[in-house]
Amino acid sequence: MSEITVFETRKILTMDPNRPFATHVAVRDGYILAVGDKSCADQWGEVTHDSSLADTVLMPGMVEGHAHMMAGAIWQYAYAGYHDRVDPNGRLWPGLQNLEDVIDGLSTYADELADDQPLIAWGFDPIFLKGERLNKRHLDRISTSRPVAILFSNFHLMCVNSVALEMAGYDAGTNVEGVLKGADHSPNGELQEMAAMFPIMRRLGIDFRSLTQNTDAIRDFAKVSVRSGVTTVTDLFAEMSDNDLDNLLAITGESSFPVRLVPALAAMAGSPREMAAHAKAIKTRSTEKLRLGAVKLMTDGSIQGWTARVKWPGYIGGHENGLWNTSPEQIRAICTAMQEAGVQMHIHVNGDEASEVVIDILEDVLREHPSTTHRHVLQHGQMMGADQFRRCTEMGIAVNLFANHIWYFGDQHVALTIGEDRAKRMDACRSALDAGVLLAIHSDAPVTPMGPLFTAWCAVNRRTMSGRTLGEAQKISVHEALYAITLGAAATLKMDREIGSIETGKRADFAVLGDDPTAVDPMALKDVPVLGTVLGGSVNLV
Amino acid sequence: MSLPPLPMTVIAGYLGAGKTTLINRLLAENHGLRLLVMVNDFGAINIDEKLLTSADEDTLTLTNGCVCCTMGADLFMAIGDALDRRPRPDQLIIEASGIADPARIANAAKAEPDLSYGGVVTVVDGNIFKSLANDPLIGPQIIGQVKCAHAIAVSKSSAKEKALSSFLQTHTPAPIVTLSEVPSVAPLILEPKDKLEPQLSSEPHPSYVSWSYTGDAYLTQTRIDELLEKLPQGIFRLKGVVKNPDGTSRTVQVVGNEIEIKSSQAVSETTLVAIGLKDRITAAEIEAWWQQK
Repeated sequence: MSEITVFETRKILTMDPNRPFATHVAVRDGYILAVGDKSCADQWGEVTHDSSLADTVLMPGMVEGHAHMMAGAIWQYAYAGYHDRVDPNGRLWPGLQNLEDVIDGLSTYADELADDQPLIAWGFDPIFLKGERLNKRHLDRISTSRPVAILFSNFHLMCVNSVALEMAGYDAGTNVEGVLKGADHSPNGELQEMAAMFPIMRRLGIDFRSLTQNTDAIRDFAKVSVRSGVTTVTDLFAEMSDNDLDNLLAITGESSFPVRLVPALAAMAGSPREMAAHAKAIKTRSTEKLRLGAVKLMTDGSIQGWTARVKWPGYIGGHENGLWNTSPEQIRAICTAMQEAGVQMHIHVNGDEASEVVIDILEDVLREHPSTTHRHVLQHGQMMGADQFRRCTEMGIAVNLFANHIWYFGDQHVALTIGEDRAKRMDACRSALDAGVLLAIHSDAPVTPMGPLFTAWCAVNRRTMSGRTLGEAQKISVHEALYAITLGAAATLKMDREIGSIETGKRADFAVLGDDPTAVDPMALKDVPVLGTVLGGSVNLV
Repeated sequence: MSLPPLPMTVIAGYLGAGKTTLINRLLAENHGLRLLVMVNDFGAINIDEKLLTSADEDTLTLTNGCVCCTMGADLFMAIGDALDRRPRPDQLIIEASGIADPARIANAAKAEPDLSYGGVVTVVDGNIFKSLANDPLIGPQIIGQVKCAHAIAVSKSSAKEKALSSFLQTHTPAPIVTLSEVPSVAPLILEPKDKLEPQLSSEPHPSYVSWSYTGDAYLTQTRIDELLEKLPQGIFRLKGVVKNPDGTSRTVQVVGNEIEIKSSQAVSETTLVAIGLKDRITAAEIEAWWQQK
C-alpha cells in the first residue's frame, strides 16, 4: 500500500461545487484521494499528516492555456521593460520607466558582462515612454566598445548602438527598408522587422530557436510556471524536431520536473495531411507531464501592430487592414485535414474578421467531417462578440481570451487602433460566458507576464494602465475568472478529467497561495502571493 | 578575405500558383550553379531519381550539386543556416509561403552584408490571378506580391493572356514571362554569370536577350550612377565589375529597380552582363545605352 499524505492548509478552494471549500487534502500516488477535514482519508488506512502548508491557501494548480516556452529562456537577456518583472530565479527587475532609467539600468547590467560579450536586452516598449524615442546615442552611453541591442517587447523591432550598427555594415550609405535614419542621414539605431534586424541577430548570436526546446529553456519555462502558480502550461506554437521531442521527454520525465507541459505543434510548413499525421503520431508519445497531439494555427497578426484582420470600419485613422499569415484557403485546407484526422486545433485569431473567417471555415469543415469531440479552441479572440460566441457554442468550439490586453494595451486600443466603442467590448468574457462558451483566459507569455491571478484580475476589473475601467459590461465575477484559469483552461486542453479542480480522483496539482483570492478585495486579486505549487503531490515552493 | 556575398532570390506566389513547378524546372536545368533551394512543402518537389545523389527526410542532393531542403517555420533562421553552410552554395533560392510578402524576405538580402539581392520572381496562375486579386480578403496581399517582383512568371496561361498581361501591367512595370514559352527559367531567377554571353548565344534562348562587355572602360561613381539612371527598362538583370579612374573597382548589380553598387577588389578589366526579354529590348539597344558611357 502506497503512502497517504494529508496536507493541512488554512483553506482549500476546490472549484468543485460539491465541496467548494475544505481544509485538508489527502494525496496518494500523485492523485487526490480525499478532500475535507483532518480525518478525510482515515477510512483509507494509515496516513501521514503534513503541516508544511498549514499557513497557506490551496487552489487547483492554475492552467496557462496560451504561453510560449520562450517566456523562460528570454531571461538570458537583460530586461528593459516598463513594468516590474520577476525572472525565473526570482530576481526582481524593476521597470525602466524613462530613458535615463534604461541607460542606467543596462549600464549596471553591463558591468556583470565579460568584455567580449554583447549586451542584449528585451521587453522595451516605446509606447509607454514619453519624450525622445530611444536611439543609438542613448545606447552609446551604455557602451562604445561592446555591441548593445535592445529588442522591443513585440520582437518586431530593436534599437542598437553604434558598435552594433558598424558590425552589420549599416552606415549613411545603407538604403534598406527598416533601417531608420536620423536627421544626419546615418542610421539612428532603430531597426524594424526581421530583415533589418537579421544582420544584428546573426552577429550577436540572438537566436529565437535557442530560446525554446533546449534544456535550459525548458527548465526556465517550468520555473516561470511555478512562480505564477501554474501546474499545466502550454507552448502554443512548438517547433519540435525528433531530437527536441526526445529531449523534452527526458526532461519532463524527471521526477522533479514541476509542471505539465502541453506543446501545440506549429502547423505552418508542409502539407496539411502530413502535419495532421505527424501530430497524431507524436500524440502516442504523451506522458504524465508531456501532452502531445494538438496543433496551433496562425491566421492574422496583432491588433496593436495593426496587422490583425478587422471587420468594418477597420482601424481608426484609416490605417489599412491587417495581414493574413496564413491565407483563408490554406486555413481551410489545414482545418479540413486536422478535423478529418481528429487533431485538436488551437487557432490564433485576433481581429474580428479573422475569427469570423475561421468560424465560417469550421462550420463547413464540421459539416464535411462531423464530430462531437473536436473541442478546437479560438485563441485570443479579442474582438469576438456575442454573435460569434454563440456560433462557437453551437459548434463545440472553445475560446481562450487575451484578458491581459485590457490592462497592458487597453488605452492604446482606445486611442490608436480600434477606438473606444470596440475597445470596450474587447476580450468579452461576459458575452462569452453568457453565450455558453467554454472560456479560458491567458497571458500569451512572454508577450505579457505569466500570472493567471493577474489575468483573472484583468477579466474581473477591466482596469487599464491609465486607471480607467474599459467595458464595465464585460466584467466577470472572481469565481468565474478563477474557473477560467483552472477548469476552464484545463477543458480547453481536454485535461479537465484529471486537473483543474481539487476533487477525489484528480491529480494532486495545486497552487500554493499566501491569501484567499475569494476573500480579498477583487482589486487585490493580482496581489495574492503565489508561494509555489504542488505537482502530483510534490511540493515546489519558490 | 571573407566569402563573396551569397545572392538570394525569392520565389513568391499564391498557393497553387506554380512555385514548386518553377523550382523543379530550375533544379533540372543546366545552369552550372550549385543552388540551395529552400521550400515550404517538400512533398511537392519532384526530381527525376536519376538526378538525385541522395534524399532524406528534409534534404535532396542532386547530381548537379544543387541541394533542396525544407526550411521549417523560421525563415530567417533558415537563411542564417544557409549562410553558415560549407561549401557555400552559389545562390540561395527561397520559396515564400503562399501569402507571404516576398519584399519582407528579400529585404534581408539588402540588409545582410553576406547576402546580395537576387530579386523576387512572382509566379501567377494565369487562370485565376485576376479573381484572387479582386478577393476582398486576400486581394491586397496578392497584388503586393506582384508589385515587388522584378519579374512575373505566368503559369497555366490561358486564352485570356492578353487581358491578364494588361491587368498585371496596371500593377507592375516588371517583365511578364509566360513560362510555357521560355526555353529556360534560369535567366529569370539566377544572377547572370560573368561572361555568360558566349554560352547563352550558343543556346536556343529566343525569349531572352543578353549583352555583355569586357574591356578597358572605366567610369567614376558619378558616371555609373548617371548611366544606371538611364538603364533601359527592358533589362531586368545587370551584373559586373567596373573600373574606376582612381584605380579602384565597383561591383554593379541591378535586379529590376534595385541597384547595388559596392567597392570591390581592383580588377584588370571592366565586365558587365545584362539580360532582358526579347519582346522588350534588343542587344543593340543595350549596346546603345552602354555607348553613352
